[in-house]
Amino acid sequence: MQRDRLLVWLAVVVGLALIVIAIVYWAEPAKSLPSWLPGHEAGSNHHHVKHGIAAFLLGLACLVFAWFRSAGPRPRSAAA
Amino acid sequence: MPISYWQAIVLGLLQGFSELFPISSLGHSVILPQLLGWNIHQNDSYFITFLVATHLATALVLLGFFWSDWVRIFRGLGRSLRDREIAPDDTDAKLGWLLVVGTIPAGLLGLLLEHKLRTVFASAQSASFFLMINGLLLFGAEALRRRAPQPEHGDPDGRVARRVSWRDAFGVGSIQAAALVPGISRSGVTMGGGLLVGLSNEDAARFAFLLATPIIGAAAALKLPELFGSQGNGVRGPALVGALCAAVTAYFSVRFLMRFFETNRLTPFAAYCLAAGLACTLYFLV
Repeated sequence: MQRDRLLVWLAVVVGLALIVIAIVYWAEPAKSLPSWLPGHEAGSNHHHVKHGIAAFLLGLACLVFAWFRSAGPRPRSAAA
Repeated sequence: MPISYWQAIVLGLLQGFSELFPISSLGHSVILPQLLGWNIHQNDSYFITFLVATHLATALVLLGFFWSDWVRIFRGLGRSLRDREIAPDDTDAKLGWLLVVGTIPAGLLGLLLEHKLRTVFASAQSASFFLMINGLLLFGAEALRRRAPQPEHGDPDGRVARRVSWRDAFGVGSIQAAALVPGISRSGVTMGGGLLVGLSNEDAARFAFLLATPIIGAAAALKLPELFGSQGNGVRGPALVGALCAAVTAYFSVRFLMRFFETNRLTPFAAYCLAAGLACTLYFLV
């Protein structure tokens, strides 16, 4: 249970971080990206739109995972 | 005009059926212009713009052909998100999430590798070589399949949802990225992957077409601004004609293939790819 909760929080944090990174990719040209981000290139005005989409999709996937994982146990009907 | 209307018709017809037949549309669209001596190259910006239009048409045809499936899948996705669980008997929801799990790795790999792979493997020679490899992959998938080919009954989407695990969907989705190499077929590798995870030919084809729709559509939509921007100048007319031709052949192809795979295997396509790839490799070498 404790491990599940930790996993959910981890997925939420990573998901939100990836969505922020996606926005950075869309908003900033390659020269202004932090040097630790893939795609950083000194002097380049190119916007890494595809990197942004990739980060956004991954972030969304993490949030969806957290959404399902954080649901409580479901009562099942006895009749089958 | 960089692409004539005649060339647009030929390339559109070719794109529509070769995208869905497991024989690599990209490979054929690289090889054919070279064989016919046309001055069209895969990395020319106008040709990419042209391909965007034909891919979009193919994706729309696939969406329309499986429309009732997609409606059920989206309803299933909505139900599972609302209930925060995938009910064991909700095969539409399970299939929907299998498609999401399969599409994410394919989309990510496509976004990150597409440009590099297209640049490295742009030549007709390499496309011919990989067409041979595609033939071998299809032969291999048929040889290593888990189920004997036999007609099946009942809801096909339900069968796919029950037989494919999350890990399988991720694996089959990931290998779609191999189709970024001209000569390797997206539908071929996904159908082959489907056979390896225990689907019948019919169900593997259905899963491959459902998986292909969001990827082809998204890839085309991403480049749509190029079609309507300055890059599309002079190529929009041929692109529209090519898209219409691609839509016609895509429709007949998917209709034919869904019936074909009820009782048949990938073997004829494997043999074609091997023979055509070998012949073109030798032709370009000489």
